[in-house]
This record gives sequence, structure tokens and C-alpha cells, in this order.
Amino acid sequence: MIPGKIVRFLEEYANVAFAGTRNQALVPYGHRVSGWHVGADGRSLTALIAEQFTTRLIESLEGNGEFALTVEEFPSHETYQFKGRYLRHRPLRREDVEIVDRIRQRFFKAVRPIFADGPEHHLQAFILKPCLAVEFEVFEIYLQTPGPAAGTRLVPPETLEK
Amino acid sequence: MSTTVLPDEIRPALDNGVPAVMVTCSAAGVPNVTVVSQVYYVDEAHAALSFQFFSKTIRNVRENPRAFVCVSDVVGHAHWILQLEFERSETAGPIFDVMEMQIEAIASATGMSGIFKLRAADVYRVLSAEKVPYSATIAS
Repeated sequence: MIPGKIVRFLEEYANVAFAGTRNQALVPYGHRVSGWHVGADGRSLTALIAEQFTTRLIESLEGNGEFALTVEEFPSHETYQFKGRYLRHRPLRREDVEIVDRIRQRFFKAVRPIFADGPEHHLQAFILKPCLAVEFEVFEIYLQTPGPAAGTRLVPPETLEK
Repeated sequence: MSTTVLPDEIRPALDNGVPAVMVTCSAAGVPNVTVVSQVYYVDEAHAALSFQFFSKTIRNVRENPRAFVCVSDVVGHAHWILQLEFERSETAGPIFDVMEMQIEAIASATGMSGIFKLRAADVYRVLSAEKVPYSATIAS
């Protein structure tokens, strides 16, 4: 189960994300993610993949199912990584596009003070147009906010195994 | 277009202060995605990445040397995709010294002083570099 605090982070604060997969030869590949949402079961996440970053995505997911998603709030750098197993993919729906629009605005508000001279459409274009929704079941969540605790597994808690 | 070296065109993007993203994979086949403060141009065939924390990334590249890095070129309106292979780690010398100085500058500019500290400069061989322009249109 994704903790409520992290669900709120995903839905209200986070503004950039990137996904990772790998092929059968263990070669990693990355995919820009333009949006995300938590599944109704509270155990799955859907990542909305940017259209320029779908190379090798589906063949890797159908071949081995491994999926990792790192989501950050810029500029605070609060960051979490979600690791799990691919469930399914589908074309975008209208509600996905609306989510991406909200995240794009959130990102723009966050970076505007830092890139005050940057053209608005350049900053907004950083959140790319998505073309595919990938749903995966979350098995593990790691804290990745820079600092000595980076890499700590939050779900399931590391202390349960010690 | 993909090349097997780092073109001069990428150098401003490496120096723009925007964090890069790195994907690695463990020997057990689990991918890992992390943010990297700095990608340093060593020469056209090599890039060095900052190693600041003892992390899954560090363990992964020592088990499986392949790495994927995405660099944001906010001025050029594009991303650069690098396929890399880990070669060695340096904890002293000119590459380390320059990266350490740049990390301190990044930390100061981003409020991360005292948190960002360079432990090593990990040097990777460039297998390919590809420029991916932003889409001309926005989703909405």
C-alpha cells in the first residue's frame, strides 16, 4: 500500500518524473514521464510516458516486467522511487491529459522564479506530450531525497527484516 | 541522430546546472532511476558522473557496467540520451578536483551545502549519444 503521505506528495507536490526499464541483456533504458496517478487500489501507479521516450519500453516490459519510477518535487528535491512489476499499458485517456496539464502548470510555477527570463512555452514544453499509460504494481518505495538517508527503503520498511 | 562520441554541441547542456537522470540495472535485473547532479565532459569518448552518496547506483554499475543517462538541454530545447559503460572511479586528480569544485557551486546555488559532497568521480566510456528534441506541441 502506498502511504497516504506519499500519495499526497504525488498528487499535490511532485512535478517531474522519470522511469527505468531494462532488456533481456540487462541494458537499462530510461523514459521521460509527463504525469502519473495512483490506482484506486492504492497499490498501483500509472506512469504517462512521453512520446519521444517509448523506445524499447513495451518489449522490455512484456519481456521481464521490471519497472522503476522516480518522482521528484523541484526545487525542494523531495524524491521517491517506486519499484514494481508491469501490469498493462493503454493509450491515453482524456483524464490522463488533464493530469499532465496540471503537472505542467505545477512545474512551471516551481521553475518560473529560477528561470525568470526563460520563455514560458519553453519551460512548459519541458513536460513533454505523453502518448502511453503504463500501469504497474508497486512492491517497494525508496526515499531518494538527497542526503544521508537517500536510498532508504520505506515500503516495506527495512526494519521489518532486521 | 546518434553518435559514438560526445559532440561539442552537448557541452553547454552538461554545464547548465540542470540535474541529469541516470538509469542502471542490478545483476539481478532490477532497474534503478536516480538524479545525478553533474555529468562532466572528460573527452569525446568519456564522461564522468558525480558519486555523492553510497547508493544503489554505485553498487549496480560495479555489478553491471551499463548505464543510461538523460541530460536536459533547456536552451537547445532537447534532451541528450547517453548510453555509457562504467570504466573506473577516481577519488583524486584533475577530474575529481574540477568536479568537486563544481559540486560545491551547485550545492551552494541549490541550498544543498553540507549535503552534496563528492566522494568519487566515476568515469564512463560513451557508447552512444543521441539528441532528442522536445515535441513541437504540448499535450493540451
